Amino acid sequence: MSVETDLKNILDSVLSLQGRSADWQRGTPLLGAVPELDSMAVLGLITAMEEGFAFTIHDDDIDSAIFATLGSLSDFVTAKLGG
Amino acid sequence: MTPPAAPVQAFFLDGALGQRFGLLHTPPNGQPVRGHVVYVHPFAEEMNASRRMAGLQARAMAQAGFAVLQLDLMGCGDSAGHFEEASWDDWVHDVVLARRWMLARWPGEAWLWGLRAGCLLAAQACRLDGRPAKLLLWQPVLSGKQHLQQFLRLQLAGDMVRGESSRGNTSHLAALLAQGESVEVAGYTVSPALAQGMTQADLHGLPAGTQIVCLERGDDKATAVSPALSAQVQHWQAAGCSAQASVVAGAIFWQMQEAPDSPGWLARSLRGLGGAAPETVS
Repeated sequence: MSVETDLKNILDSVLSLQGRSADWQRGTPLLGAVPELDSMAVLGLITAMEEGFAFTIHDDDIDSAIFATLGSLSDFVTAKLGG
Repeated sequence: MTPPAAPVQAFFLDGALGQRFGLLHTPPNGQPVRGHVVYVHPFAEEMNASRRMAGLQARAMAQAGFAVLQLDLMGCGDSAGHFEEASWDDWVHDVVLARRWMLARWPGEAWLWGLRAGCLLAAQACRLDGRPAKLLLWQPVLSGKQHLQQFLRLQLAGDMVRGESSRGNTSHLAALLAQGESVEVAGYTVSPALAQGMTQADLHGLPAGTQIVCLERGDDKATAVSPALSAQVQHWQAAGCSAQASVVAGAIFWQMQEAPDSPGWLARSLRGLGGAAPETVS
Protein backbone atom coordinates (compact mmCIF):
# COMPACT_ATOMS: atom_id res chain seq x y z
CA MET A 1 0.00 0.00 0.00
CA SER A 2 1.22 3.49 -0.77
CA VAL A 3 1.98 6.07 1.91
CA GLU A 4 -0.94 8.09 0.61
CA THR A 5 -3.40 5.23 1.08
CA ASP A 6 -2.08 4.54 4.57
CA LEU A 7 -2.41 8.22 5.39
CA LYS A 8 -5.98 8.36 4.14
CA ASN A 9 -6.83 5.41 6.38
CA ILE A 10 -5.20 7.11 9.37
CA LEU A 11 -7.01 10.38 8.66
CA ASP A 12 -10.30 8.55 8.29
CA SER A 13 -9.80 6.78 11.61
CA VAL A 14 -8.47 9.71 13.64
CA LEU A 15 -11.00 12.22 12.32
CA SER A 16 -13.82 9.68 11.99
CA LEU A 17 -14.51 10.75 8.42
CA GLN A 18 -16.60 7.62 7.68
CA GLY A 19 -14.98 7.08 4.32
CA ARG A 20 -14.97 10.73 3.23
CA SER A 21 -11.22 10.64 2.62
CA ALA A 22 -11.52 7.85 0.02
CA ASP A 23 -11.54 10.15 -3.01
CA TRP A 24 -9.10 12.74 -1.67
CA GLN A 25 -6.21 13.64 -3.98
CA ARG A 26 -2.72 14.99 -3.37
CA GLY A 27 -4.01 18.54 -3.77
CA THR A 28 -6.87 18.13 -1.27
CA PRO A 29 -6.42 20.84 1.38
CA LEU A 30 -6.36 19.67 5.02
CA LEU A 31 -5.50 22.30 7.63
CA GLY A 32 -8.14 25.02 7.63
CA ALA A 33 -10.30 23.09 5.16
CA VAL A 34 -11.25 19.94 7.06
CA PRO A 35 -13.35 21.13 10.04
CA GLU A 36 -12.54 18.01 12.11
CA LEU A 37 -8.84 18.90 12.05
CA ASP A 38 -8.65 20.94 15.27
CA SER A 39 -5.67 21.05 17.62
CA MET A 40 -6.70 17.86 19.47
CA ALA A 41 -7.09 16.10 16.12
CA VAL A 42 -3.69 17.33 14.90
CA LEU A 43 -2.18 15.87 18.05
CA GLY A 44 -4.07 12.61 17.51
CA LEU A 45 -2.89 12.53 13.91
CA ILE A 46 0.73 13.04 14.95
CA THR A 47 0.48 10.20 17.47
CA ALA A 48 -1.25 7.91 14.97
CA MET A 49 1.42 8.63 12.33
CA GLU A 50 4.19 7.92 14.85
CA GLU A 51 2.60 4.60 15.75
CA GLY A 52 1.49 3.65 12.25
CA PHE A 53 4.75 4.43 10.46
CA ALA A 54 7.05 3.73 13.44
CA PHE A 55 8.99 7.01 13.43
CA THR A 56 9.26 9.92 15.82
CA ILE A 57 7.94 13.36 14.98
CA HIS A 58 9.87 16.12 16.74
CA ASP A 59 8.55 19.48 17.88
CA ASP A 60 10.51 21.16 15.12
CA ASP A 61 8.71 19.02 12.52
CA ILE A 62 5.32 20.37 13.53
CA ASP A 63 4.73 23.03 10.89
CA SER A 64 1.57 24.15 9.16
CA ALA A 65 3.13 23.64 5.72
CA ILE A 66 3.23 19.89 6.35
CA PHE A 67 -0.47 19.70 7.12
CA ALA A 68 -1.51 21.94 4.20
CA THR A 69 -2.58 19.20 1.80
CA LEU A 70 -2.70 15.43 1.59
CA GLY A 71 0.28 15.68 -0.77
CA SER A 72 2.41 17.75 1.61
CA LEU A 73 1.65 15.38 4.48
CA SER A 74 2.41 12.41 2.29
CA ASP A 75 5.75 13.94 1.23
CA PHE A 76 6.60 14.54 4.89
CA VAL A 77 5.93 10.89 5.76
CA THR A 78 7.88 9.64 2.76
CA ALA A 79 10.86 11.80 3.75
CA LYS A 80 10.60 10.56 7.35
CA LEU A 81 10.62 6.98 6.12
CA GLY A 82 13.80 7.78 4.21
CA GLY A 83 12.18 7.17 0.84
CA MET B 1 -37.79 -4.40 25.01
CA THR B 2 -36.19 -1.36 26.57
CA PRO B 3 -34.74 -2.18 30.00
CA PRO B 4 -36.08 -0.16 32.95
CA ALA B 5 -34.25 3.11 33.39
CA ALA B 6 -31.43 3.28 35.92
CA PRO B 7 -32.01 6.22 38.27
CA VAL B 8 -29.39 8.96 38.22
CA GLN B 9 -28.86 11.72 40.75
CA ALA B 10 -26.46 14.65 40.92
CA PHE B 11 -24.97 15.62 44.27
CA PHE B 12 -21.93 17.07 46.01
CA LEU B 13 -19.53 15.01 48.05
CA ASP B 14 -17.68 16.76 50.87
CA GLY B 15 -13.95 16.50 50.39
CA ALA B 16 -11.07 17.87 52.46
CA LEU B 17 -10.55 20.59 49.86
CA GLY B 18 -14.12 21.53 49.02
CA GLN B 19 -17.06 19.86 47.39
CA ARG B 20 -16.82 17.38 44.56
CA PHE B 21 -19.59 17.04 42.03
CA GLY B 22 -20.83 13.52 41.48
CA LEU B 23 -23.32 11.75 39.24
CA LEU B 24 -24.63 8.58 40.82
CA HIS B 25 -26.26 5.90 38.69
CA THR B 26 -28.05 3.14 40.57
CA PRO B 27 -29.61 -0.10 39.33
CA PRO B 28 -33.33 0.01 38.49
CA ASN B 29 -35.58 -0.33 41.54
CA GLY B 30 -36.01 -3.87 42.75
CA GLN B 31 -32.90 -5.15 40.99
CA PRO B 32 -30.21 -6.72 43.20
CA VAL B 33 -27.02 -4.67 43.51
CA ARG B 34 -23.82 -6.57 42.69
CA GLY B 35 -21.40 -3.88 43.79
CA HIS B 36 -20.11 -0.51 42.70
CA VAL B 37 -17.95 1.21 40.11
CA VAL B 38 -16.05 4.49 40.53
CA TYR B 39 -15.27 6.23 37.25
CA VAL B 40 -12.06 8.25 37.01
CA HIS B 41 -12.20 10.69 34.12
CA PRO B 42 -9.28 11.55 31.81
CA PHE B 43 -7.15 14.70 31.78
CA ALA B 44 -8.13 18.16 30.54
CA GLU B 45 -10.03 18.28 27.23
CA GLU B 46 -10.24 14.49 27.01
CA MET B 47 -12.66 14.62 29.93
CA ASN B 48 -15.09 16.78 27.97
CA ALA B 49 -14.73 14.83 24.76
CA SER B 50 -15.47 11.51 26.47
CA ARG B 51 -18.41 12.70 28.58
CA ARG B 52 -21.06 11.07 26.43
CA MET B 53 -19.41 7.65 26.24
CA ALA B 54 -18.75 7.68 29.99
CA GLY B 55 -22.42 8.46 30.62
CA LEU B 56 -23.58 5.69 28.27
CA GLN B 57 -21.31 3.17 29.96
CA ALA B 58 -22.31 4.26 33.46
CA ARG B 59 -25.98 3.78 32.61
CA ALA B 60 -25.30 0.37 31.07
CA MET B 61 -23.38 -0.71 34.17
CA ALA B 62 -26.20 0.46 36.42
CA GLN B 63 -28.65 -1.60 34.39
CA ALA B 64 -26.32 -4.58 34.85
CA GLY B 65 -26.55 -4.20 38.64
CA PHE B 66 -23.78 -1.82 39.64
CA ALA B 67 -24.01 1.51 41.44
CA VAL B 68 -21.76 3.83 39.42
CA LEU B 69 -20.25 7.11 40.57
CA GLN B 70 -18.89 9.60 38.07
CA LEU B 71 -16.91 12.08 40.14
CA ASP B 72 -15.48 15.35 38.86
CA LEU B 73 -11.97 15.71 40.27
CA MET B 74 -10.89 18.92 42.02
CA GLY B 75 -11.04 21.89 39.65
CA CYS B 76 -12.64 19.81 36.89
CA GLY B 77 -16.21 19.87 35.61
CA ASP B 78 -18.57 21.11 38.31
CA SER B 79 -16.36 20.39 41.32
CA ALA B 80 -15.04 23.11 43.60
CA GLY B 81 -11.52 24.46 43.26
CA HIS B 82 -9.56 25.70 40.31
CA PHE B 83 -7.80 23.51 37.81
CA GLU B 84 -4.59 25.50 38.23
CA GLU B 85 -4.58 24.80 41.99
CA ALA B 86 -5.06 21.07 41.67
CA SER B 87 -2.14 18.75 42.31
CA TRP B 88 -1.86 15.13 41.24
CA ASP B 89 -2.09 14.03 44.89
CA ASP B 90 -5.32 16.00 45.34
CA TRP B 91 -6.83 13.98 42.51
CA VAL B 92 -5.59 10.68 43.89
CA HIS B 93 -7.22 11.57 47.20
CA ASP B 94 -10.46 12.42 45.43
CA VAL B 95 -10.47 8.90 43.98
CA VAL B 96 -9.76 7.40 47.41
CA LEU B 97 -12.60 9.48 48.89
CA ALA B 98 -15.03 8.38 46.17
CA ARG B 99 -14.13 4.71 46.64
CA ARG B 100 -14.61 4.90 50.39
CA TRP B 101 -17.96 6.63 49.99
CA MET B 102 -19.22 4.02 47.52
CA LEU B 103 -17.89 1.08 49.54
CA ALA B 104 -19.82 2.23 52.61
CA ARG B 105 -23.07 2.25 50.62
CA TRP B 106 -22.68 -0.52 48.09
CA PRO B 107 -20.35 -3.25 49.33
CA GLY B 108 -19.79 -6.23 47.08
CA GLU B 109 -17.69 -6.14 43.95
CA ALA B 110 -15.68 -2.92 43.99
CA TRP B 111 -14.46 -1.73 40.60
CA LEU B 112 -12.41 1.29 39.60
CA TRP B 113 -12.89 2.30 35.98
CA GLY B 114 -10.42 4.70 34.44
CA LEU B 115 -10.14 6.31 31.04
CA ARG B 116 -6.71 7.41 29.72
CA ALA B 117 -4.93 9.37 32.52
CA GLY B 118 -7.77 8.35 34.84
CA CYS B 119 -6.21 4.87 34.74
CA LEU B 120 -3.03 6.28 36.29
CA LEU B 121 -5.03 7.88 39.11
CA ALA B 122 -7.02 4.68 39.67
CA ALA B 123 -3.80 2.64 39.83
CA GLN B 124 -2.28 5.02 42.35
CA ALA B 125 -5.40 4.85 44.54
CA CYS B 126 -5.09 1.04 44.48
CA ARG B 127 -1.43 1.17 45.47
CA LEU B 128 -2.28 3.44 48.40
CA ASP B 129 -5.00 1.04 49.52
CA GLY B 130 -2.65 -1.94 49.25
CA ARG B 131 -5.38 -4.54 48.82
CA PRO B 132 -6.18 -6.44 45.61
CA ALA B 133 -8.57 -4.42 43.49
CA LYS B 134 -10.63 -4.70 40.33
CA LEU B 135 -9.69 -2.30 37.55
CA LEU B 136 -11.39 -1.60 34.23
CA LEU B 137 -8.94 0.43 32.15
CA TRP B 138 -10.03 2.15 28.95
CA GLN B 139 -7.20 3.04 26.55
CA PRO B 140 -4.85 3.36 29.53
CA VAL B 141 -2.08 5.93 29.52
CA LEU B 142 0.96 3.81 30.37
CA SER B 143 3.33 6.65 31.16
CA GLY B 144 2.30 9.87 32.82
CA LYS B 145 5.48 11.48 31.59
CA GLN B 146 4.63 10.77 27.97
CA HIS B 147 1.05 11.90 28.48
CA LEU B 148 2.20 15.25 29.86
CA GLN B 149 4.56 15.73 26.92
CA GLN B 150 1.74 15.05 24.48
CA PHE B 151 -0.48 17.49 26.34
CA LEU B 152 2.20 20.20 26.19
CA ARG B 153 2.41 19.53 22.47
CA LEU B 154 -1.19 20.64 22.20
CA GLN B 155 0.17 24.16 22.50
CA LEU B 156 2.20 23.71 19.32
CA ALA B 157 -0.70 22.08 17.50
CA GLY B 158 -3.06 24.85 18.59
CA ASP B 159 -0.70 27.60 17.46
CA MET B 160 -0.38 25.88 14.12
CA VAL B 161 -4.12 25.36 13.60
CA ARG B 162 -4.77 29.03 14.42
CA GLY B 163 -2.04 30.05 12.00
CA GLU B 164 0.00 31.73 14.75
CA SER B 165 3.72 31.48 15.13
CA SER B 166 4.74 29.06 17.82
CA ARG B 167 5.16 30.38 21.35
CA GLY B 168 7.87 27.96 22.33
CA ASN B 169 8.25 24.24 22.06
CA THR B 170 7.44 21.43 24.44
CA SER B 171 10.85 21.34 26.08
CA HIS B 172 10.54 25.06 26.89
CA LEU B 173 7.23 24.43 28.69
CA ALA B 174 8.63 21.38 30.48
CA ALA B 175 11.57 23.49 31.66
CA LEU B 176 9.21 26.13 33.09
CA LEU B 177 7.33 23.43 35.03
CA ALA B 178 10.60 22.01 36.33
CA GLN B 179 11.52 25.49 37.59
CA GLY B 180 8.30 25.57 39.60
CA GLU B 181 6.24 27.74 37.27
CA SER B 182 2.74 27.02 36.01
CA VAL B 183 2.16 26.81 32.27
CA GLU B 184 -1.00 27.41 30.29
CA VAL B 185 -1.82 25.04 27.46
CA ALA B 186 -5.06 24.95 25.50
CA GLY B 187 -6.87 26.93 28.18
CA TYR B 188 -5.68 24.75 31.06
CA THR B 189 -3.18 26.09 33.58
CA VAL B 190 -1.06 23.22 34.83
CA SER B 191 0.65 23.61 38.20
CA PRO B 192 4.14 22.22 38.86
CA ALA B 193 2.62 19.91 41.51
CA LEU B 194 0.24 18.47 38.96
CA ALA B 195 2.94 18.05 36.34
CA GLN B 196 5.36 16.47 38.79
CA GLY B 197 2.84 13.90 40.01
CA MET B 198 1.76 13.04 36.50
CA THR B 199 5.37 12.68 35.33
CA GLN B 200 5.97 10.02 37.97
CA ALA B 201 2.71 8.16 37.41
CA ASP B 202 2.62 4.71 35.86
CA LEU B 203 0.61 1.50 36.10
CA HIS B 204 3.17 -0.64 37.90
CA GLY B 205 3.22 -1.80 41.50
CA LEU B 206 -0.43 -2.87 41.82
CA PRO B 207 -1.22 -5.16 44.76
CA ALA B 208 -0.83 -8.85 43.86
CA GLY B 209 -4.17 -10.45 43.11
CA THR B 210 -5.56 -7.35 41.42
CA GLN B 211 -7.87 -8.09 38.52
CA ILE B 212 -7.32 -5.88 35.47
CA VAL B 213 -9.48 -5.64 32.35
CA CYS B 214 -8.06 -3.40 29.58
CA LEU B 215 -9.74 -2.14 26.44
CA GLU B 216 -7.70 -0.65 23.61
CA ARG B 217 -9.11 0.93 20.48
CA GLY B 218 -8.23 -0.63 17.17
CA ASP B 219 -9.45 -0.79 13.62
CA ASP B 220 -11.84 -3.51 12.57
CA LYS B 221 -8.85 -5.48 11.28
CA ALA B 222 -6.72 -5.22 14.43
CA THR B 223 -6.70 -8.26 16.68
CA ALA B 224 -3.64 -7.81 18.91
CA VAL B 225 -3.16 -5.01 21.42
CA SER B 226 -0.22 -2.63 20.97
CA PRO B 227 3.25 -3.91 21.91
CA ALA B 228 3.38 -1.37 24.76
CA LEU B 229 0.13 -2.54 26.35
CA SER B 230 1.09 -6.16 25.77
CA ALA B 231 4.32 -5.57 27.71
CA GLN B 232 2.37 -3.90 30.50
CA VAL B 233 0.03 -6.91 30.74
CA GLN B 234 3.03 -9.24 31.04
CA HIS B 235 4.39 -6.99 33.76
CA TRP B 236 1.15 -7.23 35.73
CA GLN B 237 0.96 -10.99 35.31
CA ALA B 238 4.55 -11.39 36.52
CA ALA B 239 3.59 -9.35 39.60
CA GLY B 240 0.78 -11.75 40.46
CA CYS B 241 -2.13 -9.82 38.96
CA SER B 242 -4.76 -11.26 36.67
CA ALA B 243 -4.75 -9.09 33.55
CA GLN B 244 -6.42 -9.30 30.17
CA ALA B 245 -6.41 -6.77 27.34
CA SER B 246 -8.49 -6.72 24.19
CA VAL B 247 -8.83 -4.60 21.09
CA VAL B 248 -12.26 -3.11 20.54
CA ALA B 249 -13.31 -1.23 17.41
CA GLY B 250 -14.67 2.25 17.89
CA ALA B 251 -13.99 5.96 17.52
CA ILE B 252 -11.25 7.85 19.36
CA PHE B 253 -14.02 9.28 21.48
CA TRP B 254 -11.70 10.84 24.09
CA GLN B 255 -10.11 13.09 21.48
CA MET B 256 -13.02 14.07 19.29
CA GLN B 257 -15.86 16.42 19.93
CA GLU B 258 -19.11 14.74 18.90
CA ALA B 259 -17.51 11.38 18.26
CA PRO B 260 -19.86 8.66 17.05
CA ASP B 261 -20.84 6.15 19.75
CA SER B 262 -18.74 3.03 20.17
CA PRO B 263 -21.23 0.43 21.44
CA GLY B 264 -18.64 -2.35 21.29
CA TRP B 265 -16.86 -0.73 24.25
CA LEU B 266 -19.97 -0.85 26.41
CA ALA B 267 -20.68 -4.51 25.75
CA ARG B 268 -17.05 -5.57 26.15
CA SER B 269 -16.71 -3.69 29.44
CA LEU B 270 -19.83 -5.32 30.88
CA ARG B 271 -18.43 -8.72 29.95
CA GLY B 272 -15.22 -7.73 31.73
CA LEU B 273 -17.21 -6.96 34.85
CA GLY B 274 -18.63 -10.45 34.64
CA GLY B 275 -22.12 -9.48 33.66
CA ALA B 276 -24.06 -10.10 30.49
CA ALA B 277 -24.64 -7.11 28.26
CA PRO B 278 -28.23 -5.92 28.32
CA GLU B 279 -29.96 -6.46 25.02
CA THR B 280 -30.47 -2.77 24.45
CA VAL B 281 -27.83 -0.27 25.39
CA SER B 282 -29.24 3.16 24.86
